[in-house]
Amino acid sequence: MAQVKLFGYADKISVKPGEVIQFYVNADGTDAADAQLVRLIHGDNHPDGPGFVEQEVPSAIDGIWRVEKQYTQIGSFLEVPDPQRRLALGGSLTLFAFIHPLWPQVGHRQFLLGRWDNDKNVGFGLGIKPNGLLEFWVGRGDEVDYVEAEVPLRANMWYFVAASLDAATGRATLYQEGVVNRYNSVLGKVTPLDLRSHVAESFRFRQKHLDDTPFLMAGSRDWHDRRGDFVSQLYCGKIDRPGLFDRVLSRAELDAIRSGGVPPSDGMVAYWDTTDGYTDQGIGDVVTDIGPHKLHANGYNRPVRAQTGWNWSGRNDCFRLAPEEYGGVEFHADALIDCKWKPTKALLLADDLRSGAYAIRLRGGGGTGLGEEYIPFFVRPKQPTGRIAFLIPTASYLAYANEHLSFDAPIVQGMSGMTPILTDIDIEMYKNPEFGHGCYDSWADGQGVCYSSYHRPVINMRPKYRISSMDITWQYPADLSVIAWLEHMQYDYDVLTDEDLDREGVSALSPYPCVLSGTHPEYYSERMMDATEDYIEGGGRYIYLGANGYYWHVAFRDDEPWGLECRKLGDGWKAWEARPGEHYIGTTGQKGGPWKCLGRPPQKIMGVGFVSEGFGTSAPFERMPDSYEPSLAWITDGIEGDVIGDFGLSYGGAAGVEIDKYDLSLGTPPNTKVIASSGGHTDNYLTHGQLQLHQHPGTSGSWDHRVGADITYFPAPNDGAVLSCSSIAFGQALPVNGFDNNVSRLLANVINAFIKPGPLPDSSERAAEPEDVLVT
Amino acid sequence: MNAVIDTQDRAEVRRLRYETKQRAFLKTLVSPHVIEEHRRSPIGQHSEPLERLLAYFRRRPLAGRYAIMVVKPFEAYRLVQLSGERGVPPAPSDETIYRSQAEAEHAIFLRNVQTLLT
Repeated sequence: MAQVKLFGYADKISVKPGEVIQFYVNADGTDAADAQLVRLIHGDNHPDGPGFVEQEVPSAIDGIWRVEKQYTQIGSFLEVPDPQRRLALGGSLTLFAFIHPLWPQVGHRQFLLGRWDNDKNVGFGLGIKPNGLLEFWVGRGDEVDYVEAEVPLRANMWYFVAASLDAATGRATLYQEGVVNRYNSVLGKVTPLDLRSHVAESFRFRQKHLDDTPFLMAGSRDWHDRRGDFVSQLYCGKIDRPGLFDRVLSRAELDAIRSGGVPPSDGMVAYWDTTDGYTDQGIGDVVTDIGPHKLHANGYNRPVRAQTGWNWSGRNDCFRLAPEEYGGVEFHADALIDCKWKPTKALLLADDLRSGAYAIRLRGGGGTGLGEEYIPFFVRPKQPTGRIAFLIPTASYLAYANEHLSFDAPIVQGMSGMTPILTDIDIEMYKNPEFGHGCYDSWADGQGVCYSSYHRPVINMRPKYRISSMDITWQYPADLSVIAWLEHMQYDYDVLTDEDLDREGVSALSPYPCVLSGTHPEYYSERMMDATEDYIEGGGRYIYLGANGYYWHVAFRDDEPWGLECRKLGDGWKAWEARPGEHYIGTTGQKGGPWKCLGRPPQKIMGVGFVSEGFGTSAPFERMPDSYEPSLAWITDGIEGDVIGDFGLSYGGAAGVEIDKYDLSLGTPPNTKVIASSGGHTDNYLTHGQLQLHQHPGTSGSWDHRVGADITYFPAPNDGAVLSCSSIAFGQALPVNGFDNNVSRLLANVINAFIKPGPLPDSSERAAEPEDVLVT
Repeated sequence: MNAVIDTQDRAEVRRLRYETKQRAFLKTLVSPHVIEEHRRSPIGQHSEPLERLLAYFRRRPLAGRYAIMVVKPFEAYRLVQLSGERGVPPAPSDETIYRSQAEAEHAIFLRNVQTLLT
């Protein structure tokens, strides 16, 4: 019997009672799954904690679901709706494009553009052979005629390529010329390369067409018995300003286009101006045809826009300054934005469903291993009622979604100081490109993954999951420990997500006296940053319950909040680096990179910011003198001794994994107090480049006093305040000893004060004291 | 001109030369003391000889690098070796079961030391 495997996703990540959420399920080895709505309480199976905890919640869709095999189209490409089949040219034609292949010798044919049925060998196309040679071909079903270049295309170089067929004579010509300038390609002018090839052949016949073949760019129509139509021959690389003519363009005409000239109107069927459509606010997925028929092309799996084109001069670093130099549309054969599976089941959320972390639990076969699946989502209240909002860092969940670090990142063992600990689900993901990648990965062609989405199964956004490269819970399952703590302490709390914060701004937070962050809220849009800052300035009381937060600038689309864009650059530690000229987010037109490089270090709103990371061990905090100030005694009330958090589910300490620090030079409010600090970290903890601009020996944990976490507190305007815990491991210390420990006590002390109406406990002392004066 | 560009990576020549020298040096660091230090504490702060050995082992090419496979969470593990090739799963190393992450880490260390010395 085949192994039972169940995977699924939902159309939304944040819903309210009375709304409908749609589930999509793929099944292998079974056609039935037992479904149950559950409320998730704790997701870490570490033996020092309470283990996995869920509560079954009766719902209208509990029971047996019919499930089936689903298919996922991976790869990004452009499809041109052409109901009148104007692009189905039967006679003479010319195809052309500027191209920048990323992996010309990938081992399968890559399709550039044309109208071609790969299963039935009908139509015409321009592409790249498995050996890297440019090729033009026509087919009539029983036979294919082709002409190929003499010189293989090289990776990361710009070319202008074209192919023509003279229907009267059968003469087919191929045109390939390099268009390398000082900036646009991996090799410059001093390399003795001849990139050109001009070849002609006589074709024996003319192309035929099938009615339903789509005109595609970066992929071609294919067929599978079970799956039906799909797209194969996926291309890795950029295409800039492609066109189609119904006549043979002369060598001189093609030379003129190659030199930047406007293509002639005579014979133009379509000319896709990939630089059209840019706005100050970014660009979408539609590529404009400025030819006579306006046959615009739609992006599938989000081809990357805002990329440099063939004529990028190096002077302008953003499409907003010179859109005409940003015609590169970038395709990846393993891109995935949306699985687009057939819907399996929908749930109308009951009116009395309490806010929290929920999932549909699916079990098939024995209901264990890959036969058990959780499809998570979060339920907000219809109207905010809780005293506390737990802000779920879903943007960061997306950034880490289905990361492949243990398998594909050579650095990861050196970075973590340990060996990856893999489970069956990790192997299953690695074997199947249909899971897509996260923003810690590169596509197979080597370019960094700048998009992520939850419209696909996200295996690490699941209870019980442990990040394989570090063997701890991370993001979603780690944040469930905070849920477990809130439940255990019987706090009146609601949950909401980054998506809600991005869409609604400060009004999403303002009903709550106290907001609690997740353990690693690393990825923030500008709207999220603004809302958080405004909330605190307006009197909100914020607990930053983690570390390395508010770090990367990312963006969501207004109309597609399930997708995230992230450009990695600047002085942050990064899994990949955006190319020169491609530092701006196509979604919004804003510059990407670390918030610190944009003038908004996290210290400015939270008092602390990223200083170091390390794995395998954590450390305790030691109380600092400010904690003994009588006005601040309420923070450590009931805590005996100097040591806080010498325990935890993340390497045995509350200070560790990633840690933040107080830094006046980066904008920590001068009235900030340091309640406790950690030290004594191992040399696996390195000082971050934002503090140590030049590397030299002696800046790791056992050498450098800066490698430590600071628990800080500062009062903000209008009775607002911020407590920053400055450690990812802090949240994983909460569940130890049945939640009865001094980390739990400290957090409860602060939350109790933050949710109490009226001024903060230290406000009267502050009023009597002179303002802090900086003496440095 | 159709210049043929030889794409053999000359950096590899230097890397191999460095490897030869580095391995000769690292062999001198292997001692019963270092092995016992690793057995007691496979993860965390180490002496310089042990950390140099580990840093070298952790930077071997991905193909063939060891990883730990969970057989039963927190109770049983075995060793696998990464393929270094996208989409190709790790291959089982053998069927030996280790009762803890530390035991598995130490078994990998011993194998890496053995390879270094041969």
